[in-house]
Amino acid sequence: MFFDIHHRFPRFLQASLWLFSTALGMVLCGCNSEKIEFRSNQLHAASISMDLTPPDIRQLADRAKGATEQLLGTADLPTWPASVLPPIDMEKVVRSSGPVGRDQSKVERGLFRKHCVQCHGISGDGRGPSAALLAPYPRDFRRGSFKFKSTPIGKKPTHSDIVRTLEQGLPGTAMPAFGTLSDSKEFVDDVDALAHYVRFLAIRGEVERRLLVALSEQEVDESTSLAILTRVANDWLAADSHSVQRPEWVANPSEDGRMESVANGKALFESEWTACVKCHGVDGSGNGTSQDFDDWTKDWTIRAGIDPAHKSEWKSMKKYGALKPVIDRPRNLKLGALRGGTSRGDIYLRLVLGIEGSPMLPVAKKENGNPGLTEEDIRDLVEYVHFLSENTRNISLSQEVQHASSE
Amino acid sequence: MLPVNEDSSRWVYRWAMLVTLLTFPLIWLGGLVTTHDAGMAVPDWPGTFGYNLFLYPWSAWLYGPFDLFVEHGHRLLASLVGLLAICLCVVAYRNEKRTWVRNVCFLFLAAIISQGVLGGARVLLDARTAAMIHGCTGPLVFALGSFILMACSSDWRRATQDGSRIPVSRGLLRFSYLLVLMSIVQLFVGAQLRHAQPTWLPPFFTSIVHTHLLMATLITLSIFGICVLVRTDHNRRVMELRLPSNMLLIVVLAQVALGLATWVANYATPWVELTPWLANYTLQGKGFWESMIVTGHQATGSLLIVFSLWMVCRVATRTKKAEKAQPMINDTTIHQEKATELVAVGSTV
Ligand code: HEC
Ligand code: HEM
Repeated sequence: MFFDIHHRFPRFLQASLWLFSTALGMVLCGCNSEKIEFRSNQLHAASISMDLTPPDIRQLADRAKGATEQLLGTADLPTWPASVLPPIDMEKVVRSSGPVGRDQSKVERGLFRKHCVQCHGISGDGRGPSAALLAPYPRDFRRGSFKFKSTPIGKKPTHSDIVRTLEQGLPGTAMPAFGTLSDSKEFVDDVDALAHYVRFLAIRGEVERRLLVALSEQEVDESTSLAILTRVANDWLAADSHSVQRPEWVANPSEDGRMESVANGKALFESEWTACVKCHGVDGSGNGTSQDFDDWTKDWTIRAGIDPAHKSEWKSMKKYGALKPVIDRPRNLKLGALRGGTSRGDIYLRLVLGIEGSPMLPVAKKENGNPGLTEEDIRDLVEYVHFLSENTRNISLSQEVQHASSE
Repeated sequence: MLPVNEDSSRWVYRWAMLVTLLTFPLIWLGGLVTTHDAGMAVPDWPGTFGYNLFLYPWSAWLYGPFDLFVEHGHRLLASLVGLLAICLCVVAYRNEKRTWVRNVCFLFLAAIISQGVLGGARVLLDARTAAMIHGCTGPLVFALGSFILMACSSDWRRATQDGSRIPVSRGLLRFSYLLVLMSIVQLFVGAQLRHAQPTWLPPFFTSIVHTHLLMATLITLSIFGICVLVRTDHNRRVMELRLPSNMLLIVVLAQVALGLATWVANYATPWVELTPWLANYTLQGKGFWESMIVTGHQATGSLLIVFSLWMVCRVATRTKKAEKAQPMINDTTIHQEKATELVAVGSTV
């Protein structure tokens, strides 16, 4: 007999032997069937054509995906048509795409799948495996809309806006900072390449959305899809020209002067004129009366005639990949965690530019005879927000560890 | 009673100890490979960038990118463990009287080799499923190694040879078996989280998370149960049960804490506004401490399997059935001669 003692242990051992052989068998037969493709945009297809049956919606989404693939390639090999001027560096896009790993010359590929896909999903739809468990949900790039940037609402972010978010992360969310990696030279390149890929996915997603709309009306030939791509690409090419300079800002050196500014800003914040309190609450803790959804949610709910506040209504969209609609809470300014940056310059940009896709609009500026806030008012408001949020600093685990060990 | 036999087994014990102690860092390194998605940092196998595994330049390994450092390091340590496992088999073949222990040593070697082949298949096929299976079976190999250690321990010998021992309740035995099983299932579930395919839909991943949390609760409760059981009835008088149960308690508490920290380190918390600290906490992509927490959770998970197996061993050798062990010891006197020789050699060295 193989095992003659302790009959119970042998059974355990036989089980593990069995496990090994099945495992090996499974690998050899099955697992190189892991094909990874972009996912079609069924949710958008459903929201623009509510009258279609589910199979027709899926089919429409697949056709749009196919047409997009003709233009821009696959998840393993993105391409760019020669006749359109690219706003992105395709070499970096290709390096960021595809499966993770190094080639024989040690160049690393698949950066997006290594660092981002778990949350943002293979097509940048914000529906990676872990998405449903995160608050806020990961960004869906496919609307071409970004929140924290230096350009006005409706304009595309610049390359460095996206690099900024990748480097600094978004405090209080699942979006990590990639700025402090140990082997940094390689990582600076990686972050740069990833920012190109994010813009690629945003372009791809927006082209797909527009193709969906076009295809829901008629057949689309190659020149039409090229025209769609050109229009989207031009928006991205123009981004830099819309970028607003972040003001270099030296705080008022006198404490009294600064506090005067803060008091002024407080009055403005609480005035009906700015309506900040309507959303952020009188004390700035985010509990104002106006609580709304963001555009990513409204896109498939309100715009499709669905009430996001009622499960009986939005439930029907779950099968197309919709996640539970969640209120885009006005930020609790007292917690400090400003995602667009904590400096006065950053806050200034948030106030004059607003936050695209969220209920937060830019402040009305007094210019060309229109009523609104003067530059001085805005600076006071910034000083007040800065004062509210200054009590805490941004935290990272490594900093905490350093802090603890230096004590 | 049988002093010579005892000594002969001690060498097996020492070798098993060495191999097991090295397998644990191997689990860590393997875990780091997963954490840093470094499985394909070296595109070829069994060589490294065209070099023989052992001849790959040290400087390129140590000063290269981190993922390459981890992956090549994992391969080197795995080879070392493999070589030592061969030694273990030789030592066991020559010194160990119990046939089944020798067989387990060979099984262990076979498992390590298949683990290596599986790792190779993961690289050559670039298959994440293979990586997932490799990640599941790695800790089982570790558990098998530590099982050899337990079977050769003096406690095992004392428990199986000493006729006057106090029988332990079978309920405790069943509970301990159940715990081993649950920790293994939990390991598999956890591996799904770590090796999630990019194309999985959110509801699927979410259900795996919920399963993992449910299992974690069950495991924690079972360990509480075991801690109570070893202190009740006649089990109370078997002091040898205290250490494994206490260790289980420590490990499971650490594991739950690490699990929560892992979630925060990977995904932050959904309750941002709870405290200013959470609100201001920015994750570091592939940050050092983040990786250590995540990898530590995975490594402590395999420690849990090993400790629950330890519990099983200490309990099983003390239940009634274990008495059958007695005659087998005498059966193996054939090897006694050989063993005497070896010990003689051993003591002169
Ligand atoms: C209609 C509601 C609404 C009004 C009015 C409003 N906000 Fe906001 N605000 C929001 C929401 C929602 C967010 C969070 C946006 C997000 O990140 O999705 C926000 C975010 C912010 C942020 C955080 C930006 C960051 O970097 O994280 C600041 C600062 C801010 N608001 C200041 C103000 C000030 C000052 C006013 C008044 C001039 C104001 N808000 C008016 C809804 C509003
Ligand atoms: C005793 C032998 C070995 C043990 C116990 C072991 C253990 C492990 C463990 C525990 C993991 C982590 C899995 C997870 O995080 O879920 C891992 C990962 C890995 N190991 Fe091993 N390993 C062994 C040998 C090898 C060998 C010889 C190779 C050769 C290439 C190898 C290649 C890998 C790879 C590529 C991964 C990463 C999987 C991924 O991409 O996520 N391992 N190993």
